[in-house]
Amino acid sequence: MDQSLENKKKTQYSRLFRRFTFLTMICSLSPLLLAGWAINIHYSRFAKERMEKMLQARVEYHRKIIEFFLKENRTRLEFITQTHSIVSLTKKDRLSHIFKTINRDSWILTDIGIIDENGDHTAYVGPYDLIDKNYFNTFWFEEVMEKGSYTSDMFMGFRKEPHFIMAVIKNENGHRWILRATINTEWFRSLVEDVRIGKTGEVYILNKKGIYQTSPGSDGEIMALASGFNGEIHDGVKFRFFETGVGDSQTRKIVCETWLRDPKWLLVVRIDEAELFEEVRHANRAALISLHLSALIIFIVIVFITRHMVSVIKKRDDEVERMNRQLMQTGKLASIGELSAGVAHEINNPLAIITTERQLLQDMEKRIPITDEIFEKQFAGSLNQIDTQVLRCKHITRNLMKFARRTKSVIETVDINVFLREVIDLMEREAKSDGISFKSILDGKLQPIMSDPSQLQQVLLNIINNAIAAHEDKGYGMITIATCLSKDKTGIVITVKDTGNGIKDEDIEKVFDPFFTTKSPGQGTGLGLSICYSIVKQLGGNIDVESDVEKGTLFTLTFPFKPPEDLLKHGGGRLYNGNNIKH
Amino acid sequence: MIGSKILLVDDEEIFCDNMAKLLQNRQYKVTAVYNGESAIRALEKENFDVVVLDLKMPGMNGITTLKEIKKLGLFTETLLLTGHGSVDAAIEAIRLGAYDFLTKPCEIDELVEKIEGAWRKKDEAWKKDLEEKLKKVVESPSDVFKLFD
Repeated sequence: MDQSLENKKKTQYSRLFRRFTFLTMICSLSPLLLAGWAINIHYSRFAKERMEKMLQARVEYHRKIIEFFLKENRTRLEFITQTHSIVSLTKKDRLSHIFKTINRDSWILTDIGIIDENGDHTAYVGPYDLIDKNYFNTFWFEEVMEKGSYTSDMFMGFRKEPHFIMAVIKNENGHRWILRATINTEWFRSLVEDVRIGKTGEVYILNKKGIYQTSPGSDGEIMALASGFNGEIHDGVKFRFFETGVGDSQTRKIVCETWLRDPKWLLVVRIDEAELFEEVRHANRAALISLHLSALIIFIVIVFITRHMVSVIKKRDDEVERMNRQLMQTGKLASIGELSAGVAHEINNPLAIITTERQLLQDMEKRIPITDEIFEKQFAGSLNQIDTQVLRCKHITRNLMKFARRTKSVIETVDINVFLREVIDLMEREAKSDGISFKSILDGKLQPIMSDPSQLQQVLLNIINNAIAAHEDKGYGMITIATCLSKDKTGIVITVKDTGNGIKDEDIEKVFDPFFTTKSPGQGTGLGLSICYSIVKQLGGNIDVESDVEKGTLFTLTFPFKPPEDLLKHGGGRLYNGNNIKH
Repeated sequence: MIGSKILLVDDEEIFCDNMAKLLQNRQYKVTAVYNGESAIRALEKENFDVVVLDLKMPGMNGITTLKEIKKLGLFTETLLLTGHGSVDAAIEAIRLGAYDFLTKPCEIDELVEKIEGAWRKKDEAWKKDLEEKLKKVVESPSDVFKLFD
C-alpha cells in the first residue's frame, strides 16, 4: 500500500481516537466533576455556616458566664451591705473574715474596703497600703455616689496597676458609705480567656472607648487603645474578618464580638480562619482528591476502551476494505468474463470460416493438383501457417471461454494431502529437467475437505507451472508445498512457495487481473491466475500472494471444509482418494 | 455413410456454405439454411438423416430449434455446432436429445466422424422401429398399411 495513504489512515485513526476520547471524557467526566465540585462548594458553605453558628453559640455562652460572674459579685457586695452595718464591717476581723470567705475557693477579689461619704478609707483588707487614701475625687467615687452601684473600667489608681472595682453604696442612719471590692485582674483574665478556641484563638474585652480590659495576647497590651475599633453597639454576636501580617505571613482572622450588658464591655473572640475551618478544609481536600482520583481512573479507562474500540474499528475497516477489493476484483472478473465470452464467440465464427476455407482449398488441391513446384510448396506452407495460427487463436479463445465459463462444480470429499502428493508427482518430472526440486510439508492430521478436485487440480497446476517458470533464469530452485489448518479452524491452508525471480511491487496487485502477463507476446494469455482466482472464489476459498524480487513468491490458498451451500447442492458424496488426476 | 442427407443450420452464411461444399465433396447430400425457422420448414418437407445445428442464432436459437425438431418425431439425429463452447448449454442440448456437440472451429474430419456416428444411431433407431412394426404386422396383418405411415 502507498506510504502516504498509510500515513493518512494513521492520522485519521489518531484523530478518531482523540475525538472519541475527548467526547467520552466530556460526557462522562463533566457531570462527575460538576456534581462533585457543586457538592463540595455546597458542603463547604454548609460546614462553614455550622462552624460559625457553633462559634457564635460558644461566644454567647461565654458572655453569659462573664456577665454572671460580674453580677454574682455585685450581688454579693449588695448582700453584705444589706446584712452588715458599717460598724460591724469596720471591725477589721469581720471584713477580713468576709474577704476570706469570698476567696475561699478561688482568689476572686484582690482586696475589699469600706469608704465613707467623704471618700476616706475606713476599713481595708488587701495586699496594698491604701487605708489612708481618700477617694473623694476619683471618677468611680462620683459614679457610685450618683448611681448607687458601679463597676468600673480598668484603671491604674493608687496602686499603679491595671484593675477594676465594684462598689455599692448603703444609706445607714442618714450617712452613706461604700463597700468596694477589687476583682483579681489575673483571675478575671483567666475567666475571660477560658473559652479554649483552638491554638490561635484569642479572647479579650474592650470598653466603650476601645481600651483593652484584658490582655489581647498578640496584638497589644491591657489598657492600650485597640486599633480599628468603631464603638458601634449591637445586639447579639457579630462576625467580621480582617487580614493580619504581610506577604506570606498574612493570615485571615475571623472576629466574633458581643456586648456585655453591665458594664458595657465588648467581648471579642478572635481566631485564624484557617484553624477554625481546618476540618472543613481537610474534608474538602479529601473529597476533592477522591473526586479527581475517580476522574483520573475514568480517564484511564476511557483511553483504554477508546483505544480498543478504535483498533476494532480499524480491524473492521481493513476487513471491509479487503472485501471491497475482492468484490471489485470479482466484479472486474465477472464483467471481463462476459466480454471474453462474447469476444470468444465472435472470433470463433471467423476462425471456423477460415478453417473451412483452408479445407476447401485442400479439397480443391486434391482434385486439381498444382503443377508448379514452387507454388505448390508455397501453397502447402501457407495452409500450414493458417492451420497453426488458427490453432493458436483457438487456444486463446478456449482459455477465454474457461475464464468466462461458470460451470457447475462437482463437489467431492477430497483428502488434500493425497491430492497434493499426486499433483507433486505429476509436476516433479517436468520440474526436474529445469533443476527444480519439490519439498512438501503436509499436515497429516488434516481432515478431508468438500471441494471440486478437477478445479483444485487446475488451480494447483497453474500456480506450480508459474512457480517453475519463475526459475527460468536461474536453472535451479525449490518449490515448497505445505498444508495446515486455518487459523479459525474452519478450513485448510495450502501454501506454494518458490525460490524464483519474484514479482515486482508494481505488478503484485495486478497478478489476478485478466490478460495481465509478464511473459513475452504469444507465451501466455495472462488468464491463468485470473481463472485460479475465479475458481478459488467459486469454491468459497481465498487466494493471496506475497513476493520478494530476491527471495521468490508465496501463494496462500485457503479452502473451507465445506464449500458454499449452493455448490453443495450440486455436489456428490464421493470420496476423493487419488488416481483422479488427468494426465 | 455416403449419400446421407444432411441439413446444415447456421446464421454464418459463409461458414454454412463452405461446410456444405466440404460435405458435398465427401459425397453427402447437403441442404444449407441460415436460421431455425427455415430448418423446421425444410424438415417438414423432406427427411434428413442428420441435422448440424448452430447453438447461437438470432430468432430461434439452437435449443429452441432442437425442441421443435424433436416435436416433429422424425428419425433424425441432431449435432450441435457452436462457437460458444458452453458445457452447460451442451449438456442441456444432449438432455433434450441431441446426439453430440462440436465447438467451432472444427476440422471437417472431426465433423464427418460425428455425422457418421449420428447416422448410425439414427439408422439403428429406424431399424428397430421397423422391426417392431413388422412384428405387429405379423401379429395383426390388418396393420400392414401402418408400415407406410
